[in-house]
Amino acid sequence: MDPHPDLTSGVVFGLGWFYLILFAMNACWVVRSYKQDGEMHLFGIEVPKASFWALYAALLGMVSIAHFTGSSQPDAFLIRMPEIFKDYADLTIGNSKLGPVLFFAGSIVGFVLMIVLREILVVPTVGWVLLNGSLLLLGLSMTDYDFRQIVAKPDNVPIVAMLFIVGYTTWLYFARAVDNDRRVKEGRPLYEEEHQEKILVWPDLVYSELVCMLVITAVLVAWGIALDAPLEEPANAAKTPNPSKAPWYFLGLQEMLVYYDPWLAGVVFPSVILGGLMAIPYIDYNKKGNGYYCFEDRWFAVSTFLFGFLPLWVAMIILGTFLRGPNWNIFGFYEYWDVHKLEVLNNVNLSEYFWLTLMGGAMPKVDPSAGAATQAVQILVREWLGIVLTLGYLVVLPPVMAATVCRRMFHRMGFLRFMVFSNLMLLMLALPIKMVLRWAFNLKYIVAVPEWFFNI
Amino acid sequence: MADKPSTDDILAKLRKEAQGGGGGDETPASAQPAAETRAPAPPAGETPTSTNDIMAALRAQGGKAASEPSPAPAARTGETPKSTNDIMAALRAQSGKGASPAAESKPAAPKKAGAPASLPDGEKPSVEEMLKGLRGEAKAADTAPAKPAKPTMPPLPTKPPVASKKKEPETRRNFLIALVATPFALAWTAFTASAGAFTLGLARFMMPNVLVEPPSTFKVGPPSDYPPGTVSTKWKAQFAVWLVHAEYEGKSLIYALSTVCTHLGCTPNWLEGEQKFKCPCHGSGFYINGINFEGPAPRPLERHAIRVAPDGMLEVDKSRKFQQELGQWEDGNSKVEVV
Repeated sequence: MDPHPDLTSGVVFGLGWFYLILFAMNACWVVRSYKQDGEMHLFGIEVPKASFWALYAALLGMVSIAHFTGSSQPDAFLIRMPEIFKDYADLTIGNSKLGPVLFFAGSIVGFVLMIVLREILVVPTVGWVLLNGSLLLLGLSMTDYDFRQIVAKPDNVPIVAMLFIVGYTTWLYFARAVDNDRRVKEGRPLYEEEHQEKILVWPDLVYSELVCMLVITAVLVAWGIALDAPLEEPANAAKTPNPSKAPWYFLGLQEMLVYYDPWLAGVVFPSVILGGLMAIPYIDYNKKGNGYYCFEDRWFAVSTFLFGFLPLWVAMIILGTFLRGPNWNIFGFYEYWDVHKLEVLNNVNLSEYFWLTLMGGAMPKVDPSAGAATQAVQILVREWLGIVLTLGYLVVLPPVMAATVCRRMFHRMGFLRFMVFSNLMLLMLALPIKMVLRWAFNLKYIVAVPEWFFNI
Repeated sequence: MADKPSTDDILAKLRKEAQGGGGGDETPASAQPAAETRAPAPPAGETPTSTNDIMAALRAQGGKAASEPSPAPAARTGETPKSTNDIMAALRAQSGKGASPAAESKPAAPKKAGAPASLPDGEKPSVEEMLKGLRGEAKAADTAPAKPAKPTMPPLPTKPPVASKKKEPETRRNFLIALVATPFALAWTAFTASAGAFTLGLARFMMPNVLVEPPSTFKVGPPSDYPPGTVSTKWKAQFAVWLVHAEYEGKSLIYALSTVCTHLGCTPNWLEGEQKFKCPCHGSGFYINGINFEGPAPRPLERHAIRVAPDGMLEVDKSRKFQQELGQWEDGNSKVEVV
């Protein structure tokens, strides 16, 4: 018998419940669609749009029944993720060179599309289609053994839940913001003015909070009973678990550590993130958008924040949770976590590129026995290109920005605020830039001074 | 007070204004206790202050609504308002009526330029607007010599004559006695002393009497135990070193590599098939000679001192380390050459 079966009777039975819940959700949606969506012309007759949803829901119901009745013979069960799709996904995402590029580029493209197509995204039917699509993909993927090993791990269940919650809250924000943007354009009062949601603290608010508290407690208790705590063997200094993963909310930082030296990715960047978030109210001069949802009044602030949050934080959590396997290699969603997966990732410093490849000579030597001043000069000679590039990025670029693309911003903000703002922006962009350089050119460090533990 | 009015002042003034309709001649200081004696229903025209007052007033109003021509929907039906909606509706109607004269009397209150939109008519002015209006008034009043905006405060109790002490000659001894003798100073002195003693006690733990650590110098057997081209993980768990016998710069060497990754200090694994050390935390990779080539590790693994002891056994000294990037691998103590 296969030790790693794609389908077991328990999995098929559980998926039956999954599709049954999906069926119930869509049955409710049929009712909503019948009441609100109206009708459309089809072959000369008026057909309510809800009928398509009814067809889909009926199909889901049948799929659910098929799972319940077919759970006794899991090997012969037919509804499963096609092998061709799995192989294709593993060959692209699981490739150590191509995978991260595809993943990151995909997250950026998705982010841009989300903002550009927000008017379409916020149509409830579109949101429902996206939700159904992602749930179906999840359900089908659960028929794969390796996918299940990762997604159904007690550690990772809340991450999967978080992805759906992040998706919903983002959608909700855009729905409210697009609604208000339209209201402003048409001169109607804002949603927040039209629907005053003020209530009395006592008793209304306090009672609602009490109910929320009870519900959350119940959910936590149920969760604590259903999923066992993922405890491991006693800690051992000589043995690091493979892969060794940070808590899920720090996986973005761990991914950052792959590209930067610990003092940067572990100390400087987290401090800059915290300080930068605190500095936002002092940098922001836009008085609009106070107390109501909007996108167009605050497009720059919203896009910047969402860029930092979705592609640079949430997507990194997904990458760290589902795609990073043993030895911190990249693995596909459906790929077996092979400890001996071979990757060829010879990383090279910028100074080595410059002196060895471009100049075709030897690296300038740094004499370890010389004094600090002599060493500094020798290191400067060796690393001059990286140092010039870094200084240019952080010192020369902000004034250039102020004189060209950010002219109006500079005038509104003043010198000091603009310098803080531009440096925060550049530091945020430093992560994707370094990631792309690593993937495209195997660049290890732009400035590499291992003698002094200083690498950028 | 030449600058901005304090929050207390503003609140006092607000209260005074709120009382304006009913008892305008009362000073705020005496009006406050009157409000605290929780009347069953405050007089009409007075803006209610506490939630209790509001609720009480609303219930009373609901009862005698027939006599009072109030535009509130709850009052119009003549029933006691029960649901929150009724109460809210009544409140809005009432507060709109009660507070509007106060708002009108302050022409200085400017509408916020960036506010979403102007508030609907009859809406209560926000606290922000009220404060703004008041501040504006106070600023205007500052220019005039007389300050009519300032509320009359009740006279403060006179301070006990502490100043008389100062007339005594200030000597060093008096000061020291005062520092130690007053109960307050005594308490702080005692606290500081005990906290200091506690800190010292904690610092004592930094120098334990017994250190349960493996000795930094240990013997790992004869060189013949380590055939060429191998990495021995025998001592990894106990001493955190790999014993490696490999070619380096054309020489056959035995050296002790530290098992601490130079990136962030995880413990890499030796992968025999790939002939490399690979760190599970961020994917750093090292060749068999310890040189970093993959992932983010910025420098090679460190070597520990090794020598052939007089009895022919290899002896590793973990208290000394040798870093390649500092040129320390040239040191004869960092390796044992096998001929």
